[in-house]
Amino acid sequence: MRKTAAVAVAILALFGASKMHFEQQLAEEHRAAFFHGAKLNLNMRQQIGQLGFLAALSGFRSVVADYLWIEAHGAWERTEWGRMALLFNNVTALEPRNVMFWDLSAWHMGYNASNFAIRNPKEPRQALRIKAQREYFKLAEDFLLRGIENNPDHYKLFESLATLYKEKFDDHYKASQYYDKAAQFPFSPSYEKRFAAYELSRCPDHEQEAYEKLVKLYRMGENEWLPTLLSRLNYLQEKLNIPPDQRVYTPPAKK
Amino acid sequence: MATPAISIRNLTKVYPIPFRSERVLAVKNLSLDVEPGQVYGLLGPNGSGKSTTMKIVLGLVPPTSGTTQIFGRDSSMVDSREDVGFLPENPYFYKYLTGFETLMFYGKICGLRGAKLRDRAGELLKLVSLENARDRRLGGYSKGMLQRIGLAQALVQEPRLLVLDEPTAGVDPAGSREIRDLILDFKSRGITILLCSHLLGQVQEICDRIGILHRGELVREGKLEDLISIENQTELILENTSPELLGEIQALVNKSNARVVETRKPQTTLERFFLDVTGGNK
Amino acid sequence: MNPAIVTTLPPKTRHKFFSPARVSAIACNTLLELVRLKVFYFLLLFALLIIGCSGFTSIFDFQFQEQFQILKDVSLGSMSIFTLMLSILATAMMLPKDIEDRTLYTILAKPVPRFEYIMGKLLGVFSLLLISTLVMSAMFVIALYAKQQIVINNTLHQGAGIPPDQVKAMIEGVKSQTFTVSLIPCLITIYLKSVLFAALTMLISTFATSSIFTIFIAFTVYFIGSIEGLAREYWYSTPNGSETAKILMGLVALFFPDLQLFNLVDDIVAGNTIAMGLFVKTAGLGVVYTFVYSFVSYVVFAFKEL
Repeated sequence: MRKTAAVAVAILALFGASKMHFEQQLAEEHRAAFFHGAKLNLNMRQQIGQLGFLAALSGFRSVVADYLWIEAHGAWERTEWGRMALLFNNVTALEPRNVMFWDLSAWHMGYNASNFAIRNPKEPRQALRIKAQREYFKLAEDFLLRGIENNPDHYKLFESLATLYKEKFDDHYKASQYYDKAAQFPFSPSYEKRFAAYELSRCPDHEQEAYEKLVKLYRMGENEWLPTLLSRLNYLQEKLNIPPDQRVYTPPAKK
Repeated sequence: MATPAISIRNLTKVYPIPFRSERVLAVKNLSLDVEPGQVYGLLGPNGSGKSTTMKIVLGLVPPTSGTTQIFGRDSSMVDSREDVGFLPENPYFYKYLTGFETLMFYGKICGLRGAKLRDRAGELLKLVSLENARDRRLGGYSKGMLQRIGLAQALVQEPRLLVLDEPTAGVDPAGSREIRDLILDFKSRGITILLCSHLLGQVQEICDRIGILHRGELVREGKLEDLISIENQTELILENTSPELLGEIQALVNKSNARVVETRKPQTTLERFFLDVTGGNK
Repeated sequence: MNPAIVTTLPPKTRHKFFSPARVSAIACNTLLELVRLKVFYFLLLFALLIIGCSGFTSIFDFQFQEQFQILKDVSLGSMSIFTLMLSILATAMMLPKDIEDRTLYTILAKPVPRFEYIMGKLLGVFSLLLISTLVMSAMFVIALYAKQQIVINNTLHQGAGIPPDQVKAMIEGVKSQTFTVSLIPCLITIYLKSVLFAALTMLISTFATSSIFTIFIAFTVYFIGSIEGLAREYWYSTPNGSETAKILMGLVALFFPDLQLFNLVDDIVAGNTIAMGLFVKTAGLGVVYTFVYSFVSYVVFAFKEL
């Protein structure tokens, strides 16, 4: 029996020695393909408890993340914004490749939490309400930037960040840049290019560049001749004093 | 001279005890032959090495030294078991299978299939009187029924050798009698049988030859009638004798060197008496 | 008593070293045993779980992406757990039960080589796991499809006044959130992981003293295998840690499988896709592990004194 045990252990050891290198290479290939990006550390262990940590370690990260997400949903209903932010951090740490989690975390912070902060009846000082609102904007931006870092291959977070810059930071140039980045992806929606041009057209130092973008879009055909595009194009034609014979678009005469 | 059905030469089996330097000597230098067509009884107290010997013959356990052969083939080789059917002690089989399914399963692993296997399973169920329980799961079988289905599975591939370990253990007298009759029937067809049993009365009824193991050694071996005969005594059973005739016989004996050891009424066996009373003796 | 005359069988054929028929008989018998033990009742539990999950997310105000996310995570996570438990529990009791009931002796006393016995038992469990995975996958697909249709119908109702091509894009967006091609490799890896564990549990049961011990060791291997990658990383890097730690990590990396490589569910549900080459390598590793564990099971069992 001892001999058999020795043979069995020898076979397993021999196999183990040959598979270790292959597993190491395969793990690297997985990481390059954005698999297994979650970093489970002691901080997480303290946040999600022993059972949750064990479950996450055992290959049930997504189930633990969903559970925490549902908890965050409950916290939203109770307007516990701080707890929500904490839970969102854990969820995105468990599932860094889930674009939806980053996007909705940013949305909750940048729109819901910030809106609550500016209208907070418990805070009579407006300056502090504005400060809190801006902190939530920064939190939303942080989620999206980290989300992009973990998901550089998906257009959605670029688009969401562009929208955040446009609507909350009033930074049309950054918004334009991120809409442009979103537009680079092969399966991104067609409106990304248009939105990039619209935002650029609102930047005083970039009107010529914006005009060229809009003309290029106009020349792509009737599908691009949406009201906002035509309106911005006409605005820039006027602003830049484009000679009438060089204008690509002439608005219909008002009746 | 025919090849022995079982040939054991200088068989020794030593079991090491884990984490100790001591060892258990289960079988020591055993040699015996079982001729084809014989019913051989392997007897001995608990721990004498009977089961170990049987397992080595069946290739379930390797010997420490020595050889065992079945019809001239090394019994550690798988192909030697084509000619062997085995019924272990207190088997349970697969409770979720019916009687018919059990025989089909064992037939398939012996290489039988199709209509031939189905017919064979049907015949064996008839042979062991389990046709009525054919579609009942083995979990609902009695002890006697389990032993009989065990015999049937042992016979499924028509083996030349049957190894039976306590075939009637825990079975009621009627069932035990039926199994005994089956064994005698197998013997009449020329099937060699190696039997282990503690029921010495039954062994005496069916075995041709016995070997007695004690502490791993074969202490006695030979033809049953030779071993149990009391050499210097003769049994004479008379019917319808008168007291005068008995007196004359006594006087004759007294004149010679012989001696009357005992005069008594012969007895039937408790088994026969039980069967007569319960109607099992039909 | 009917000592009927037994029909003469056809002449015996030469013993075959390997007989698929023998293996198949043992495999079918194993599958039948597990089915008649009513192990498939757990599928009812699975069905209730996904129906419950689907209903739960509908009641609360979750967006459709969140609903699909949670349904997929719970379904595929449950499939992982159920198939793993089934593989360990079904296999752990097999060998000890056959030995205790002495059924093993009756089988090995027939001309059945030990490797065919092990192969037949394992194939029976693999078949059970395949059937379970297929049935659960079908239930999952039906639940996901039903949810998709509900969301599409809601989208169409809310889409009045929106340009048709935009509505079409919204519907395509919904569909892209439900079924992706990568779900297929996901389901296959769930099956392969359970098959790997069945082979591993068989290996443990060949030397274990009881079923409980086998189950305990199998689950322990599962947890250690989940962090084997970390041990391997430690072994390959050159930290300033102690030699003892490095040797320990090396032994863990040597003897335990890296189960994280088979945990594709989380990332695929999150939207990641797996290239065919990478999937084939991962699946191939799973198959090799299964083969090695099955082979070592045979080696231990071949010399086991019964």
